[in-house]
Amino acid sequence: MAHARISASLPPDIDPTKAPIAFGRRALPKLREELHSPELLTQQRALMALCDLVHDPENVYQAIEIGFLDNLKTLLLHRDSTVRQKTTEILCIMAMHNVGRQGLIQNGVISALTELLDDPVDICRKNTHQIFEMMAKLYEGAVDILRAGLIPLLVFKLETEPDEIQELILDTLSNSLRVEASEALATGAVIILKEKLTHSSVAIRSKAAWVLLEIGTHAEGKGVLCEEVTPALVSLLEDSDPQVQASAAGALMFATVKPQGRFSALAAEAIPPLLKLVAEETIKARLSAIKTLTMLAELPEGRKTLLDHIDTFQQCLNDPCEAVKRAAKIAISVIKWKPC
Amino acid sequence: MYDRRVVRGNTYALQVTPVSTQPSPFEIQRQREARKRALARKRAKEQIQPRTPEPVEGREHIHVQTELYLEEISDRIIEVDTECQTDAFLDRPPTPLFIPAKTGKDVATQIEEGELFDFDVEVKPILEVLVGKTVEQALLEVMEEEELAQLWAHQRAYAELRNAELAEVQRLEEQDRRYREEKERRKLQHMKMLQKQKETTEKIAARAFAQRYLDDLIPSVFNNLREGGFFYDPIEKDIETEFLPWLMTEVEETLERKVLGRTILDSLICTVVEKRLDAFSHQPLSDQTEAPTEESRSTDAAPQVAGETDTADQPVAEKEETDQSVAEEQPSRRISFQLEKSDQAGTEDLETEKQAGDLA
Repeated sequence: MAHARISASLPPDIDPTKAPIAFGRRALPKLREELHSPELLTQQRALMALCDLVHDPENVYQAIEIGFLDNLKTLLLHRDSTVRQKTTEILCIMAMHNVGRQGLIQNGVISALTELLDDPVDICRKNTHQIFEMMAKLYEGAVDILRAGLIPLLVFKLETEPDEIQELILDTLSNSLRVEASEALATGAVIILKEKLTHSSVAIRSKAAWVLLEIGTHAEGKGVLCEEVTPALVSLLEDSDPQVQASAAGALMFATVKPQGRFSALAAEAIPPLLKLVAEETIKARLSAIKTLTMLAELPEGRKTLLDHIDTFQQCLNDPCEAVKRAAKIAISVIKWKPC
Repeated sequence: MYDRRVVRGNTYALQVTPVSTQPSPFEIQRQREARKRALARKRAKEQIQPRTPEPVEGREHIHVQTELYLEEISDRIIEVDTECQTDAFLDRPPTPLFIPAKTGKDVATQIEEGELFDFDVEVKPILEVLVGKTVEQALLEVMEEEELAQLWAHQRAYAELRNAELAEVQRLEEQDRRYREEKERRKLQHMKMLQKQKETTEKIAARAFAQRYLDDLIPSVFNNLREGGFFYDPIEKDIETEFLPWLMTEVEETLERKVLGRTILDSLICTVVEKRLDAFSHQPLSDQTEAPTEESRSTDAAPQVAGETDTADQPVAEKEETDQSVAEEQPSRRISFQLEKSDQAGTEDLETEKQAGDLA
């Protein structure tokens, strides 16, 4: 077949790694045909071109309409690592747009991605985890992840993967455990997360505390939290990073809903650090700290201790945030409550 | 110029419309004649045309091509089938690089520096465009990431608020549960207390009633027993149950014996009287006057006595039988008694005789 190029040497500003893109609406169908070709180079070039095109949401929509996702699903299991890497990257960018996320859910891409969790190439795994993290932020995506039985795998991976990927896994876990926590509890995730609470990296500590928070929103999770993790969380309250403090305060907030949690928190002397958090004006953890202290004030010993510190709460009433004001009011009313 | 289609002249008077669309037979005939005339004219013209002369003898006219190149002439027109089809979706190929072929003479020339153009000045717009495009692309990417980061931050803030509210809800649920349980426990306690109170009052009432009821019990029981004869004086009872019956039986026996004696005596007297009667009947008639008085007396006495003895006989006979039956048991005692009785009976019989004699 005659080529459109006249000279054998290319001009300097064409990227030879990308396939030439057809004009207008024809671009994506042509790339799809090129993906089917048996030549490896053509496939790679088509994938590179697609990767650039997918940043535009309209192209994402068109790609899903044409049915690119089936092709991409088959390419996920290709033997060449570049192909896999580029495919995961494309899926990752697609997942950043809502249209893409919906398309991924409808085409069942998540279960196809499970195979890639053990991929030897780091980048493929990182992209896969990024896709999971993005999908977990959507409720249907989280449900899909739960249904594909990914939670035990992810918890297991927490121990083996490098730090960046661990952060992504923790994010995924926190978003999907918001829906249901029983599987994670069954695989003993709490123990692993407790170790992560003392990790050197700030991001991992805060994210691990966040995952524990999400586990604590469920009833069965609260029980496990109360027994094992409360002292560790209380020690995290004094951490230097505000993110970590916020997450730890949030996790404690849910752990102290149950009476056993309250007792163990009191035993671990949670009140002084929490009061310090409440006293600072510009901190994210203020709301969670106020709420936790409200829970603790329902116990008689807690109430006694907190009666001395009511003025801290009075200060909170001047906070610009509406939620903090409300929480402070509720806290004051709970502290002043007398049994009749 | 005259064009039939263009109407000239006065158009008001011109109202030539065919009456019917179909031609009338007159017109048809006219057309036919016109056609015939045309044909005749044509034939005449053909005949006038000059033709090639006929060939000389022994020669033939042949058509010959006189052109430079010979051509095959045939009746059948050479037909060639050709197809043409446009390609579906043929893309516009990228613009080919046009490097024109080299023609003409080679001429060399040398351009000194600064002659053609000032690079820095010329390159500026190009550079601006290049840099601008790159920066724009970079900005777009950065904006995309920033937008995403902001979205996540927004989401995280929302998540915190949501968590706080959720925790509040759960705390209130927990509080509500505790209050409810406490209420239930207190209600249960209160119910138990009420029940215990009720039981205690019932017990007290029952006790009072039972006491009052049983107060009267012992005296009435004793009364009943006493009336039933359960409290008895044993000596009195003993006397009543044993001694007196025995006494009565003894008295009966004694009386029986007396009666027996009397009956025996009666029978004795009877036999004696009979014997005497016999004897007296057999005596001389001198004794008859005394005898009848005696007889009458004796017969008066005898039937009376007999009557008495008869009347006494029967029960005595019965009693004799009983006495005899009893007598078998205590023969010695009875015999002595009988003797006594007979003595007594004899005395009593004599008394009765006396009475009878008095009566008579």
